[in-house]
Amino acid sequence: MMGLIYKDVVALKKQLSTLLVFVVVYGGFCIAGVLDFSIIGALITVFGLTIPMSSVALDDAAHWDRYVVSTPAGRSGIVAGKYLFTLLVILVSFLAGTAFMVSLSLLGFTDTPPLQLMVTNLSCAAATLLLDAILLPFLLKYGAERARVISMITFILIFGGGILLMRVMDNGSPLPSLPDWMGNTLPVLLGLLVAGGFALSYTIAQGIYLRKEF
Amino acid sequence: MNNALEVSHLTKDYGAFRLEDVSFTVPGGTIMGLIGENGAGKSTTIKCILNLLHRDGGTISVFGMDNLAEEQAVKAQMGVVLDESSFHEGLTPLQLGKTLSRLYPHWDDRYYQDYLIKFQLPGKKTIKTFSRGMKMKLAIAAAFAARPRLLLLDEATSGLDPVVRDEILDEFLNFIQDEHHAILISSHITSDLEKAADYITYLHQGRVAITGAKDELLETYGKLVCGKADLEKVDKSLLKGCRVGQFGCEALVKNRHAFLRRYPDLTVDPVTLEDIMVLTGKGDAQ
Repeated sequence: MMGLIYKDVVALKKQLSTLLVFVVVYGGFCIAGVLDFSIIGALITVFGLTIPMSSVALDDAAHWDRYVVSTPAGRSGIVAGKYLFTLLVILVSFLAGTAFMVSLSLLGFTDTPPLQLMVTNLSCAAATLLLDAILLPFLLKYGAERARVISMITFILIFGGGILLMRVMDNGSPLPSLPDWMGNTLPVLLGLLVAGGFALSYTIAQGIYLRKEF
Repeated sequence: MNNALEVSHLTKDYGAFRLEDVSFTVPGGTIMGLIGENGAGKSTTIKCILNLLHRDGGTISVFGMDNLAEEQAVKAQMGVVLDESSFHEGLTPLQLGKTLSRLYPHWDDRYYQDYLIKFQLPGKKTIKTFSRGMKMKLAIAAAFAARPRLLLLDEATSGLDPVVRDEILDEFLNFIQDEHHAILISSHITSDLEKAADYITYLHQGRVAITGAKDELLETYGKLVCGKADLEKVDKSLLKGCRVGQFGCEALVKNRHAFLRRYPDLTVDPVTLEDIMVLTGKGDAQ
């Protein structure tokens, strides 16, 4: 499995360097005060979604999965490798993004306290994990090309839903208030939802790969 | 002598094509050549052994282990070369070696490096710069470096020039000097199999048409070359297939010695594997 992750990192080296340029450019904009620091959180989502998708696209193009199934790693190894790689991408993006934002906050480039920046990034990382949990089974079943449509629909539903919610709030319509117990435990509940969703997604993807033919 | 591979009553139904009741055995220390026309079921058979396809019936065992129940242990004993390169074009052979060393438990990196040198493959150039032949050699180097006991090769020598093919066939022959090693190789290039294989299984339209020791097959089967009038006199049950042309006829004789005892005036030539394939195919077509 570590071999598969190593392969993903090496095969995507060029793309990773391009994404690093994004970080530098957007970081520069943040320091210059052109963009808000929350853009770094958005980059975590961009990285966490595009990198695993690109890795599946490259595997498809090379028919790599067919080869790996014939090795001792087998079908379950491919799925485990891809999920672990996705987790790793999100974790590294979160850590790097947070370190960058907190450093700039401590240096006085933003008034936002470091803790709030961390919470912003953590929310972005959790949302990315949930989105990946939805997308990865489709990616592994249909391949990157065919799963692209499903990804678009998912994004439209989520972001469209978000915009709709904001419009409702802007119009002064009251949103149903959460019970006290739920309000207090919401972060824990969301955390469980994300972790449970990712675990469920992994189980579904294993089932998909078990039935797949090459 | 233990069997390296036993395929028994293998069945796979695609609807339009059906691999039916395929059985053969590859003893240790031997090379089994899998021949057949395009779409005869060679790749399907190899894919079923590798569990790339789900079989509909039959059993497959590798060194006595079921290929599904003990999949990981079975695959640790196998080196694989598929019909086309499945390696990422952006990787270099050295990076590929690092990847595969973490997938195969018996991976031998020194052996891999030796093969890269032997096959003149630059370790630091990306695979996308390689020719088809070089990619095939890289796949063969990787298959050997996994230190397998069974090599599965699907059209592994296609796309290689005769000199390299010969060199690789020598490597295959070296590999099976150990009687615990064996090779299953599918190929269209029957001359390669005539040179290297000990056993032949000929798949025709999804079924085993012929299987047995290569020398025995080449010794038993014969090619009848005669005129149309002579062919009409021959008992058709002695033939497996024939080709009737404008200037003469050719037919595959099942047992050339028995045939010559019955028809001493007719000429029966020794056959090649290609003759067996072509004439059996023609026999069906007619």
